[in-house]
Amino acid sequence: MNIFRKPILFIFMLGLMFALSCSANKQATYRKSKTLMDTFVTITVVSDSKEKAETSIDNAFTVMERFGNRINFFSEESELSLINKNAGVKEVKVSPETLDLIENAVYVSEKSGGAFDPTIGPLIKLWDFYKKIKPSYTEISGVLHLVNYKNIVIDRNGSTVFLKRKGMLLDLGGIAKGYAADMAVADLKRNGIQAGIVAIAGDIKTFGAKPDGNPWNIGIRNPRQKSESDEVIAKIKLSDMAISTSGDYERYFLQDGKRYHHLLVPRTGRPADCCRSVSIIADKGAFADAFSTAVFILGPEKGLELVQKLGMDAVIIDNNGRILTTQNIKRKIKIERFD
Amino acid sequence: MKDSIKRTTIADRILFLFLIVISISGIFISKEALPQGSDVIIEIDGKPEYTLPLNIDKTISVNGPYGITRIQIKDKKVRIMEAHCPNQLCVKNGWISRGVIVCLPNRILIIVGSGNNPGKDIDAITG
Amino acid sequence: MQSQDKYRIAVFSAYALALHGFESMLPTPIPWLRLGLSNIITLVALLLYGFRTAMTVTLIRVILASIFKGTFLGPAFILSLGGGISSTAVMGFVYALHKKLFGPIGLSLLGALFHNLAQLTLAYFLFIQRIEAVLVISPVIILIGTLTGVVNGIVSELLINMLKKDEEKFQNVAH
Repeated sequence: MNIFRKPILFIFMLGLMFALSCSANKQATYRKSKTLMDTFVTITVVSDSKEKAETSIDNAFTVMERFGNRINFFSEESELSLINKNAGVKEVKVSPETLDLIENAVYVSEKSGGAFDPTIGPLIKLWDFYKKIKPSYTEISGVLHLVNYKNIVIDRNGSTVFLKRKGMLLDLGGIAKGYAADMAVADLKRNGIQAGIVAIAGDIKTFGAKPDGNPWNIGIRNPRQKSESDEVIAKIKLSDMAISTSGDYERYFLQDGKRYHHLLVPRTGRPADCCRSVSIIADKGAFADAFSTAVFILGPEKGLELVQKLGMDAVIIDNNGRILTTQNIKRKIKIERFD
Repeated sequence: MKDSIKRTTIADRILFLFLIVISISGIFISKEALPQGSDVIIEIDGKPEYTLPLNIDKTISVNGPYGITRIQIKDKKVRIMEAHCPNQLCVKNGWISRGVIVCLPNRILIIVGSGNNPGKDIDAITG
Repeated sequence: MQSQDKYRIAVFSAYALALHGFESMLPTPIPWLRLGLSNIITLVALLLYGFRTAMTVTLIRVILASIFKGTFLGPAFILSLGGGISSTAVMGFVYALHKKLFGPIGLSLLGALFHNLAQLTLAYFLFIQRIEAVLVISPVIILIGTLTGVVNGIVSELLINMLKKDEEKFQNVAH
């Protein structure tokens, strides 16, 4: 080690390293946003070239748009609308992605004992959270028999889906965004991107690491935000994991001091009231998305038990504002503030 | 003292020049390399407590070991208006439009940056 | 260890402590930026009596000073300890490699540089955790450290010459 004999050289090299360390890191993050699937989508990628980053992001946007059109609840031509229109009539042939998505939805329904149910469409239709319309008990009980995921018939070989009862409505809003995030990440990876984040509103999937080697830092929204500075209630570091949140603050109205929100209990048709928000961390975006709804409906105790059994993680803010988490992530999470 | 300087070795002199050049150029490079931010991030004890837009005039007070420190945002610049730390360096620092103001006694760090930019604090928000 | 060594360490530590205390009474622009006057003592100890004496003096100075100030084992103590150990170690290491390459001024510069680098690194991990902030203050601190380092180096050299002359006189008288 002759170099140590010449301290000047050694010191020069130290200085050189110091100077170079600023410019050596060519990998940078690029991000782009677009309105897709009726929401705001932001894709962040790590890449060494701007063009490569932008073309791969645009490509992922196209993939998501195509998928979004197939499963759009409100569009007449979507595959989902075809399935709904033919409820009780006949099976409908669908694309492999749609079939897989519905299979995933049924899987989550089974695992959660029906707390998550994609056939909740008729109930959702009764509520209007913008016009503050609250359906009556008779209206609700009139459609409850239509809500049951067990009446979805999937034929994998024929790639068809059939809803057994007339009037049933499949609503995939509780799983589609997480699933689309999985698709977008797979597409980005195919195009040679090794790290990034796909955020479809609050459904986030991360992969790889930031240019500085650290995991991505994801904030969990404060369900009772009062000012600009308390937007985030907790922070969590994630890499190659998806996180989704279901909260009672997303679509809701207040009436007579009670909060009516969009996370309905399939069995009763009324909003669940055990939690303020539930975030689920899973390797698949589709599961994070759907199980966040399921756990919200189940409540903190049963929810945490289910999530732990399935090897996923959860951050639950209960009705008293307490933050509950699975054991696993206690060390990875940083709580910002309590109210 | 003159003798001391005369007696310095070549290595001494090179080291001295090297350090002067590196540190002075470092001062300029670090100023230039700082991103022009749109947010004022105020960290207390290493935790980001506030993220405020730089273009909205505001004065806020934060508590620290030396009492209340008042931070003012005005005309897209930020300064520590009033602090009760012994050396008052942070107040003397004056207005900044980018970079940082550090007040170590109060453990306050004011950064002009972008609150939501990659590489900064939070990369995405769920919910 | 001979009794003469113990005596030297005690005297040097006392001087270092006195300088350390004097220095902490001076107003400084940044709280943990110091002139590093006690580094003069470390350097003199290193050049006259070797690395072990220098390191012992540094450790005694850091620990006793923090006990007097009531910061023992606190964050300020960790910063002080990290800075002291790394500057003494680097000066000792470079001096051991080549006795004639750097004079007292060069060694003092190296000591100041590594003192600051160690403190910045520790401060980053312990308090600041904002790499931008560290990068912004680093050059300023290194620049100031370089200037004070030169002054300390000159003072060290004068002190060493004085002490050497004294010892010669002492020996002459003894003979």
